[in-house]
Amino acid sequence: MNGAVGPAPDAGQRSQANDAGRGGQGSLAVPRSLMLADALVEPPGADLGADELVHLRDDLARELHAVVGDLPAGERLHMDAFKMRVARRHPERCMDADDTFTPTPRHCRRSVGTAAVRLCVRGLAPGPAAAVADVLAAGVADVSDASGEDAVRPQWWAGWYAGLPRGAQAVVRAEAIAWATQLFTALDWGRFPRLPVIGGRDDWWQSPGGRQLVLQGRADVRVLSGRRLALLVMQTGRCPSDWRMELGYPGLVAALVRDVTAAPCRVVGVWPDSGQVRVLPLDLGALRHVATAVVSAVATWVDSRIEVRHLAEVRSSA
Amino acid sequence: MTVAPPDGPGVLGRLRGDGAARPPVDPGLAGGLRDWLEDGLAEAVTHVPAEAGPIRVNKETLNQVLVCEAHLAACREAPRVVSVELARGSLVDALFRQWVTVGGFDDPWGDALAAVEVDGDRDGVVAFVTGLPAPRRRELAGEVAEHAAGIAGRWPALSPSWMARTQERLEFPLCGGRVVLAGVVDLIVGGPARGSASVCVVELKSGGRRVEHRGDLHLYALLETLRSGAPPFRIATYYSATGELDVEPVGDDALVGAVQRVLAGAVRLCRLAAGAEPARTPNPLCAWCAGLPRCAPGQARAGTAVPRRGRDEPVRVGAGVRRPDVALVRGPEAS
Repeated sequence: MNGAVGPAPDAGQRSQANDAGRGGQGSLAVPRSLMLADALVEPPGADLGADELVHLRDDLARELHAVVGDLPAGERLHMDAFKMRVARRHPERCMDADDTFTPTPRHCRRSVGTAAVRLCVRGLAPGPAAAVADVLAAGVADVSDASGEDAVRPQWWAGWYAGLPRGAQAVVRAEAIAWATQLFTALDWGRFPRLPVIGGRDDWWQSPGGRQLVLQGRADVRVLSGRRLALLVMQTGRCPSDWRMELGYPGLVAALVRDVTAAPCRVVGVWPDSGQVRVLPLDLGALRHVATAVVSAVATWVDSRIEVRHLAEVRSSA
Repeated sequence: MTVAPPDGPGVLGRLRGDGAARPPVDPGLAGGLRDWLEDGLAEAVTHVPAEAGPIRVNKETLNQVLVCEAHLAACREAPRVVSVELARGSLVDALFRQWVTVGGFDDPWGDALAAVEVDGDRDGVVAFVTGLPAPRRRELAGEVAEHAAGIAGRWPALSPSWMARTQERLEFPLCGGRVVLAGVVDLIVGGPARGSASVCVVELKSGGRRVEHRGDLHLYALLETLRSGAPPFRIATYYSATGELDVEPVGDDALVGAVQRVLAGAVRLCRLAAGAEPARTPNPLCAWCAGLPRCAPGQARAGTAVPRRGRDEPVRVGAGVRRPDVALVRGPEAS
């Protein structure tokens, strides 16, 4: 079988409206890891002007300040990619949001998985499975050490994991292995002249003029592209129609906390479950577009908090 | 239950093959298959209202709609009932995952329940088995332990270089995401292709052999090809009750058959999503269909209006007695 298979494609019959469906941007190329690595290190396009980023930051801070000013007294809002998504796709769910966090194997897999991929890329583990086992064992050891002294601070998942029965621990390990394998095999690590940052600290931007709002951005891999950053974000499922927001949000937060010369130039998104890849160049237009969406999402959350507070007051007075 | 002793090369040898060169990846294959699917669905999706949401094509919906559209509709309407077979399948799946991941069990029953519970237990398996009468629960625990022993006896530890991962989700959107092919594969081994096929897909079955299992595997081979750009070099079904392992190389025929089968099913799913009346196709599974009480052709076929409860019960076909897991469901790949 060579090239196209099956009946001869008829361009007239074929669906044209397939933004997410067509692999696009080289996602069917084999091996994909080369293409993705090259997409990350490709030289950046035109630099952002220093004034442009300053203006963007000021405009965003001003607009957010106006919105967050309505937040009920004493409340803080912590925006992350998940909250952005909920506000955009299911605003009605903001009212029912519960910030109580319960660890699950799927919650842990990124944290364990990125640590494992770091071991693999540095040549400290023969593969993701062994690396994940090492990371989990170290987490359990940290829990035991931490009980005797305060010097060791275990990973957030370690205490929960250590207390699980063996069958449940196996699920945590299996999920982390699958995640780590997807990230480890997504990129040809030998293409990077300098070791990328894998996982690493999230970016946190506190809106000037108020401590009520903080934006959290997360990237799975950070690579230098010239003097600027390129981010890789690995997502589950299939590429959504609003993928520009999914990729743009961590890019915006990374730009807000950095000097213009180090601001990210692009975000590469990869959806291993579907094999889709998208590249979002972060020019001023893209950043402003995402900033507008952030203001809108924050407003949605603020409105929901006001409504929740109002309902609670009505109930208590009834 | 008897786990057959190893016959010929072991599991790894059969998955790995006989050392013959693995097929080179045709760089146009995945794009060609995708185009073929999109061309075949382009007309059907235009009739689906936008508010209908994406049409998910997975092994269950595909098997159901190809057997009988009314059967699919009845399955969707009926509440999902946990059966002993479903519980056993979930528990054995969890143990297989644990074996591949950790390489051992403490107590298969306890391990499996803990695994299902921490993973969210969407089917309510833990509550179901906890509510079983003690003798039936002990019997099920014994069966699960036998499956576990079979897995442990046949599956050696997989080398880290095989990059084994379990319960991997595959999704591929077609026609702008209006149709989504989806599946969860029990085990995938092998890293991404770099010129020749490199991945092997394994599906675990804790029940008996069924005709549709081969179609399920071909669907996974197609999904893996579409998402990664390279087909698996082998696909396999492991029957944990007997220790049998069916291994099949992935050739053009398997992928072409899978495309045809997906198209046949997905077009019907689109038609139903567009509001068409489900067609009724009497078949040997009518006796088990939840929609039987409202289906005259099904009742004529089954000879009753009362659906049977378990799929382990024998079904009378013609003069003989057969079980539905060897039933005569002719998928498009066989027609």
